Amino acid sequence: MLSMKNITKVYQTEKVQTHALRDFNLEVNEGEFIAVTGPSGSGKTTFLNIAGMLENFTSGDFMLDDVNVGKLSDNQRADLRNQKIGFIFQGFNLIPDLDLYENVEVPLRYRGIKSAERKRRIEDCLEKVGLGSRAKHLPQQLSGGQQQRVAIARALAGDPRFLLADEPTGNLDSLMARQVMELLEEINKEGATIIMVTHDPELARRAPRNIQVVDGQLADFTLYQSRESGVLVPEHANEPADKSAKAEV
Amino acid sequence: MFTHYIDLAWRSFKRTPLVSILMVLAIAVGIGITMTSLSVYHMMSMDPIPSKSSKLFHVQLGTMDDGEEWWTEDSLPQQITYKDAMALYHANTPARKVASMRSGFTVHMNNDQIKPFLESTRVTGRDFFAMFELDFLYGATWTTQQEQSAAPVIVISEQLNDKLFGGENSIGKEIYLDDSSFQIVGVTKKWNIHTKYYDVTNGAFNDPENVFMPITQIAAMELPSWGNTNGWKFEEVNTYQQRLTSEVFWLQFWVELDSPQQETQYRDYLTNYLTEQGKLGRYTREEAFFGLRNVNEWLTYNKVVSEENKILVGLSFMFLIVCLANILGLLLGKFLRRAPEVGVRRALGASKGDIFKQHLVEVSMLGLMGGLLGIGIAQLGLWGVRQTHDYYSALATMDISMLFIAPFIAISACVLAGLYPAWLVCRTTPALYLKTQ
Amino acid sequence: MLEIKPIFNSLRRSKAGALMLLIQIAITTAIVSNAAFIIKDKVEYLQQETGYPEDEIFSFSVLTYGKDRDLNQMFEEDETMLRNIPGVIDASLFSTVPVSGSGSASSFQLDADPTDSKSTRAAYTMTDEHGLNALGVKVGEGRAFTAQDVVVTQESSELPTVVLATRSFITEMFPEGDGLGNIIYFGINPIKIVGVIEKMKGPWLKDSAVENLIIFPKMMANTYQRIVVRTRAQDRASVLGQIEDLMLAKYDKRVVVGLQGMDDAKDEQNAGDILMMRMLIVLIVVLVLVTALGIFGLTVFNINKRTKQIGTRRALGARKSAIVSYFLVENSLICVAGLVIGAAGAVALGQGLFEYYSLPALDYMYIVMTAVFVLFFSLLSVLMPANKAANISPSVATRSI
Repeated sequence: MLSMKNITKVYQTEKVQTHALRDFNLEVNEGEFIAVTGPSGSGKTTFLNIAGMLENFTSGDFMLDDVNVGKLSDNQRADLRNQKIGFIFQGFNLIPDLDLYENVEVPLRYRGIKSAERKRRIEDCLEKVGLGSRAKHLPQQLSGGQQQRVAIARALAGDPRFLLADEPTGNLDSLMARQVMELLEEINKEGATIIMVTHDPELARRAPRNIQVVDGQLADFTLYQSRESGVLVPEHANEPADKSAKAEV
Repeated sequence: MFTHYIDLAWRSFKRTPLVSILMVLAIAVGIGITMTSLSVYHMMSMDPIPSKSSKLFHVQLGTMDDGEEWWTEDSLPQQITYKDAMALYHANTPARKVASMRSGFTVHMNNDQIKPFLESTRVTGRDFFAMFELDFLYGATWTTQQEQSAAPVIVISEQLNDKLFGGENSIGKEIYLDDSSFQIVGVTKKWNIHTKYYDVTNGAFNDPENVFMPITQIAAMELPSWGNTNGWKFEEVNTYQQRLTSEVFWLQFWVELDSPQQETQYRDYLTNYLTEQGKLGRYTREEAFFGLRNVNEWLTYNKVVSEENKILVGLSFMFLIVCLANILGLLLGKFLRRAPEVGVRRALGASKGDIFKQHLVEVSMLGLMGGLLGIGIAQLGLWGVRQTHDYYSALATMDISMLFIAPFIAISACVLAGLYPAWLVCRTTPALYLKTQ
Repeated sequence: MLEIKPIFNSLRRSKAGALMLLIQIAITTAIVSNAAFIIKDKVEYLQQETGYPEDEIFSFSVLTYGKDRDLNQMFEEDETMLRNIPGVIDASLFSTVPVSGSGSASSFQLDADPTDSKSTRAAYTMTDEHGLNALGVKVGEGRAFTAQDVVVTQESSELPTVVLATRSFITEMFPEGDGLGNIIYFGINPIKIVGVIEKMKGPWLKDSAVENLIIFPKMMANTYQRIVVRTRAQDRASVLGQIEDLMLAKYDKRVVVGLQGMDDAKDEQNAGDILMMRMLIVLIVVLVLVTALGIFGLTVFNINKRTKQIGTRRALGARKSAIVSYFLVENSLICVAGLVIGAAGAVALGQGLFEYYSLPALDYMYIVMTAVFVLFFSLLSVLMPANKAANISPSVATRSI
């Protein structure tokens, strides 16, 4: 459903060229839940930006739901983003001057959904994340965990094909982090494809598939259930992996 | 601590140069325009003789029939008749009084060196100079005897003395006015007034006259008036003699009353005089009616400061409010953006008061810079005003008080505008801004 | 697509900046409406037709102090001399010069007995049969003066029996329209109106009866005598330069002063109005600029403050045009609110100016035009920063501080 082939992203400053992504290849099927890990500066955020069409890529092919993203105009990308993708950011990125209802509403308005339909969706999604009763509150009046849940509601309201989450629990304590993860797993069970960038290994272990971005390239680990511990471990955990592939947790 | 705040404020300016310049300009233009119109208004409405403006009174007499109207607010004519002027002048109260009129002559020395030129002349009583505090450089006013005998004597101004005699002591010398020769008995110092408050009928902001002549010359020489002459009823005024005995208004009258008792006494005197004159059949009135206004009242009554000036001052202040709103908005933005830094300062021990003071100092500096620049802009504006007409040359200037008011208004305005943003920023909880977003 | 409701709510929650803009827009609207109206009023006044070819006419005054000439005779000779200067169309003595700011006026009666008689006020002047031509005016109805009409004397009591009047005077004095040929009284003296001039303004341009003028055919040369000379427009400057020397050459015991073109005299009388108009124009320009800059500055600040929000919106699917329209709508909301309050303020200000200062009542069209103009200008000021905001990359949303 999402297919990246030989994606390269080069940042050009005055004299220096930085390759943030280098010949990056990835295939994602519908319904997958993928955790993206890697050291800081490895390019995970760049990967996420490109996957979410927040940035352009320098070369390669990117097909999203059978649409060739490279050939789209800025407006078309915005529309596609609006319809297919739900974002969850590390910093929540709720708009402080809008109440929760209005915050969730933002992407729906861009899609041109009518007011009655918007109301239905917003109320549904806020209920789903457990904040239906606080629709008129402002983000500042909520705790971090609650704000992230609103952000999730916002991401869900548009019925996206997949969710892109950037360190969704980065700013939360462990209890709230667990709650958010459970919510994401629930959503995934309902059929949403989720790509989640994280550097929390516990979180990564809960995702059925892990990939690692190191120096702009992909190292893919496929996980399977370990019979003994019930804990998901990487396939080749006991073999010394590539030096460059050593995950820093 | 204060100098430290100044240092902080300066650095803050440099950090956002564009916004800072915008704010300084906004205040400067606001001050510039306000000071331009305010300065002109100030000069026009200034008390011209503060030491005794409450003691000099202008006399108006209601010598018209009841029901006759005039274009003043109380229908009193601004000038009085010749016979009334003389009657009042020869009364034994008060001690100092003058009738006066503006006339004019050709001045020449009866030789080829100086080309004859015109000078307007103030024909008045000998107490004029003492009453209006016009000091003498040489000599003094003419004697009572000279006045009574209509002697051909005059007093000239310093400027005229410079022009004709190179500034020397010219007492006793003679000059020709038209074809008569007059002897100079006094030379007055330069008269630094910019409002001709003693005679507002022909241009309140023109220069004062350069020649002064005894009032008795009016009848002796049958002088033409270079001022206004108005009548309220039909009279045959074909000869000069008829003019002197007519009801036509063409002279001004001023008295000096040093105490409220003197004023009451003079009011009684005028009431009696007018009642008497009415009985003589000059006019029919129920009650004696007159006007006795001191200098500032007289200037207000004559609307020396025109309505339009007042409108301009009002509009300028409204414009200043716009500039202030402008600055307030920009300050809000600027200060609130710095909230994280303030949070750090508070965490490091600054109290709310410290933060408030720091920002007020910054705002005051803004006001000071804007005020100084505003003075420059005002000078430009006043130059523009002076270009429109000669008589603005003395009026469209900033005197010392205006020069101080400008930065004062600027700083006060900026402090006022800055109060709310400063209060907002010192109120924020430090913790809120110390977290990353 | 307009997101009016959420933008409005968002403004309500962070009022201060918006409030400042609102105040600026309101005051600007109130002031500019009234100022523009006053300016138009002034322009109309300054452009008024005086009835004379102002650029062809100049006047001056002569003060004669020598006593050895007969004044009437001397000035007759002066007039002849002046008329013969090349470039001069005509010249004449006048007791009152129109548009000069000084002169004589009186009431003129319908009946010989002034009590209970209808009277009309008019300025009046005394000149000879060349006077009209010197002012470049013609008689519209009836006839002009002839040399025989002119009374030459040194007695103030001697008056001619005929006069010319302006249309404005005759209409006021004889509303039924039978003025020409009628007799009016100047004091006890009867005078017959033999000619009507359509338009002539008197000496004082702000006088309520400025168009009422009576012309007497009389020559009574004075020691303080005014003279009007008319030339072709292109010759005026050079002729004016010669006057003093020519007059003094003929007789030197006199002074020539006040050489001034009629158009300059008009400007001098109107100096106050010209100044007011200029200051109002400056005020309007500066006001609009300051407000526009305020809008610009505040928008730039808002955009900087909301960079993350803008990136987030883009990430959530907003097109660039949606970002631009967000700021345009936000600004329009504030602007419209400011305009409504400003319009009310303009009406109040206009009322105040009308009542307390003798200005004419504000024409409400000016408020409408000002509102449109201010709205246009404010949107223009927002446009540039808004376009820059639209270029904020959606990837801003994923950046941490």
